[in-house]
Amino acid sequence: MATVPARPAPFPFDPDTTALLVIDMQRDFLEPGGFGETLGNDVGQLRRVIAPTAALLAGCRAAGLRIIHTREGHLPDLSDCPPAKLLRGAPDLRIGDPGPNGRILVRGEYGHDIVDELAPLPGEPVVDKPGKGAFYATELAELLTGVRSLVVAGVTTEVCVHTTVREANDRGFECLVLADCVGSYFPDFQRVGLEMIAAQGGIFGWVATSTEFLAALPARHLEEIS
Amino acid sequence: MARIGPVKAEPYPWPYDGDVPVDRTALLCIDWQTDFCGPGGYVDSMGYDISLTRAGLPATAALLAHVRALGMLVVHTREGHDPALTDLPANKRWRSRQIGAEIGAAGPCGRILVRGEPGWEIVPEVAPVAGEVVVDKPGKGAFYATNLDLVLRTHGITHLILTGITTDVCVHTTMREANDRGYECLILSDCTGATDAGNHAAALHMVTMQGGVFGCVAASTDVIAATIH
Repeated sequence: MATVPARPAPFPFDPDTTALLVIDMQRDFLEPGGFGETLGNDVGQLRRVIAPTAALLAGCRAAGLRIIHTREGHLPDLSDCPPAKLLRGAPDLRIGDPGPNGRILVRGEYGHDIVDELAPLPGEPVVDKPGKGAFYATELAELLTGVRSLVVAGVTTEVCVHTTVREANDRGFECLVLADCVGSYFPDFQRVGLEMIAAQGGIFGWVATSTEFLAALPARHLEEIS
Repeated sequence: MARIGPVKAEPYPWPYDGDVPVDRTALLCIDWQTDFCGPGGYVDSMGYDISLTRAGLPATAALLAHVRALGMLVVHTREGHDPALTDLPANKRWRSRQIGAEIGAAGPCGRILVRGEPGWEIVPEVAPVAGEVVVDKPGKGAFYATNLDLVLRTHGITHLILTGITTDVCVHTTMREANDRGYECLILSDCTGATDAGNHAAALHMVTMQGGVFGCVAASTDVIAATIH
């Protein structure tokens, strides 16, 4: 067992039963000129997450941790997009509309894919999800067979990261959210989102930084990986 | 058939499709249990101020009377575990022990968060009446490991109005689950409450961002005012 200093208490984990979950680091949310920016959001708030998450991925790959990526998006015919999600409000761009990087939040489009800096390697599963939570209507639970602890990175903190951590926590997974590897367009929600995770004795999980986690991660011998 | 809507709400008049007949709408009353809002219960034992979690009771009781008269489906939920604690994840038990109120341990209102114990019961102000559905859930979300989705779809429900406690934990988790499943959700600011007033406000604010990422926020009086008989 390894231990990471964390809020509200040290986070113990066994690397053999721990997976890294990287949530929705997609071009549409992170890149200038993408969907997120066209909605008036400051993508700089999210882009600061890319560098520490790239370092986190490198460290987890070297240690032989399981790594899973997620993407939010819908089938091209939008048959998996609930009307309440598609038609709500009066945005300039709706899901499925042509946007700067292809059709908004549609699987297979350029904007729907993960940013180059954090591109999945062969063998790393990519879970496509129709909602905010990565467990609902996906194969994630099956992919996590034998996993007890989840280390969580991605965007945005209060929406998809929070929903997925809440789902994972109810399913008995122990979640460590890395404060510098999750991001929100809104600094207040970044702060309160992290506070809510660790409130009431860690009601949804633990919070630490990627530096603290990487320092606690034992490097695995090469022959052990092979 | 009475209809609800459009309700004066943030960030758009609810629901997105204008109005909804009451037979496609359900009122969710989440975890109004002594353990979360009664003297001697779990939240009280952890040292929080239960006046914050009780604050939504009068408005919820008034709204219940209104929707019962309309014939709307009412679903109550209770968080709790079976007496043998077979459905209690190890980390949830460990955390509750760390904070001094271990789930399953004896407290002033019986064993904490255990099904059948006095503290686990719904408080009298908003207690279920005959014919109303009660869903027992082991987690924060009311959809995971329960029959809630089946019950709602069997009744033809497409729209949900949410009340209960606590705003940032069980109500929010359930609203997120419902939203992903395509239900059009409205959370009521005066019929919810949290152990921390700041978290209550932040949780409501989060709902309204990005065009209503999880749905809408309104007051119960706005729902009553938007009822078309």
